[in-house]
Amino acid sequence: MAIASVDGGLLFQVVWTSLLAGVFVTVLFSLVVVFSSRSAEARRGARRGSGVAYAALAIASMALFALAVGYGVHIMLSKG
Amino acid sequence: MENDVVLWIVVATALAFDFTNGFHDTANAVATSISTRAMAPRVAVTMAAILNFVGAFLSLQVAATIAKGIVNPEDITLLVVFAGLIGAIFWNLLTWYFGLPSSSSHALIGGVVGSTFAAAGSSAINGTGIVDKVIIPGLMAPVLAFVVAGIGILLIYRIVARLRPSTVSRSFRLGQIITGSLFSLSHGTNDAQKTMGILFLAMVANGNLSPDDDIPTWIVVSAATAIALGTYVGGWRIIKTMGSRILKMDPAQGFAAQGGGAAVILTASHAGFPLSTTQVISGAIMGAGAAKRVSAVRWGVAGNIVVAWVLTLPAAAAVGALTYGVVSFFGDGAAGPIVVSVALLIALAVALGRRVATGQTLTAEG
Repeated sequence: MAIASVDGGLLFQVVWTSLLAGVFVTVLFSLVVVFSSRSAEARRGARRGSGVAYAALAIASMALFALAVGYGVHIMLSKG
Repeated sequence: MENDVVLWIVVATALAFDFTNGFHDTANAVATSISTRAMAPRVAVTMAAILNFVGAFLSLQVAATIAKGIVNPEDITLLVVFAGLIGAIFWNLLTWYFGLPSSSSHALIGGVVGSTFAAAGSSAINGTGIVDKVIIPGLMAPVLAFVVAGIGILLIYRIVARLRPSTVSRSFRLGQIITGSLFSLSHGTNDAQKTMGILFLAMVANGNLSPDDDIPTWIVVSAATAIALGTYVGGWRIIKTMGSRILKMDPAQGFAAQGGGAAVILTASHAGFPLSTTQVISGAIMGAGAAKRVSAVRWGVAGNIVVAWVLTLPAAAAVGALTYGVVSFFGDGAAGPIVVSVALLIALAVALGRRVATGQTLTAEG
């Protein structure tokens, strides 16, 4: 008699997708922090172009982070 | 009539379990946020309680059976459910007393396994189900969360290395509010469903509902309310263990633990392999600490937590079996559950009375 019936492929999938999702979320938010800070520094130093560019990168990172959070909520709502 | 009395005792016991579930698991969502001062304690538990309440309404995919695939459903009676719930409540209260985070789901499974074993013998227990649903997830959850949070914090430190520490702390405190909210919502959608499943099954077993009926609104509202109230009261002993006794963490570590933990829980849930929120966040906290400095983690505290995890199923099972033995001694009617319930309420009142007399409260934040 088998001791366990869990699919090994499923376990492997959980491991790599969890690693990927965890790294994705933490890196994205770290980028939001870095780009926001750089944008503020550039604006204080009167480097308008850099400030706008960093602000755009911060917004893009935040949008991706928000998308990841939204997808997490979607998973909660759609679980069977 | 007598069956109705048993039914309503089971309903009250299930709601009591739901309360201890919220009470016990408040720490999962708020401990790191409180520890890093991302949120004031009372604000954090209030937010967690509201999101648990909301979460309970968001997903009504109620668990089909208690301990599905682990015990033979035909052997589950109202008395078995009652005894199983008592086993789970006992373990939740005991681990709360010692400030140890442990899985309420595993405690419930343990309680039901024990009471079913006492009622129907070993043939009613599916050992493979226990390995699949308790042991493998129990081994995988903390290890995976440890690794994810560990890698996460190393990347965070590398990315924000040149920023001012005050900027980094302030930013990650904000991030923690988002990840803490995600944890609370996830807890509401998961754990309130277990109680709804128990209440629904009890109504079906008693003939008040048919299996095809929709879940009654009063079941949804009462389960959501019980878990939210439990969360609001807050198991401060466990919050203290998770927030500061395992590791003195900075906001970036708190974010790595919560963000990595949430990613693990939701990804595993999406793949159809649910993991214990408690085990994930505990492993993630240890990972976020050990990646910075191995000695930063208080491994003695971590060891005690692991011992609690190992003991959860057998201890809850033992109490579940013992409770079933006591209630069945009084026959199939309401006498057994009434005797056990009254005895437990008296024991709790005495314990609470002693704490009040000695100036201690259940919700002390210190």
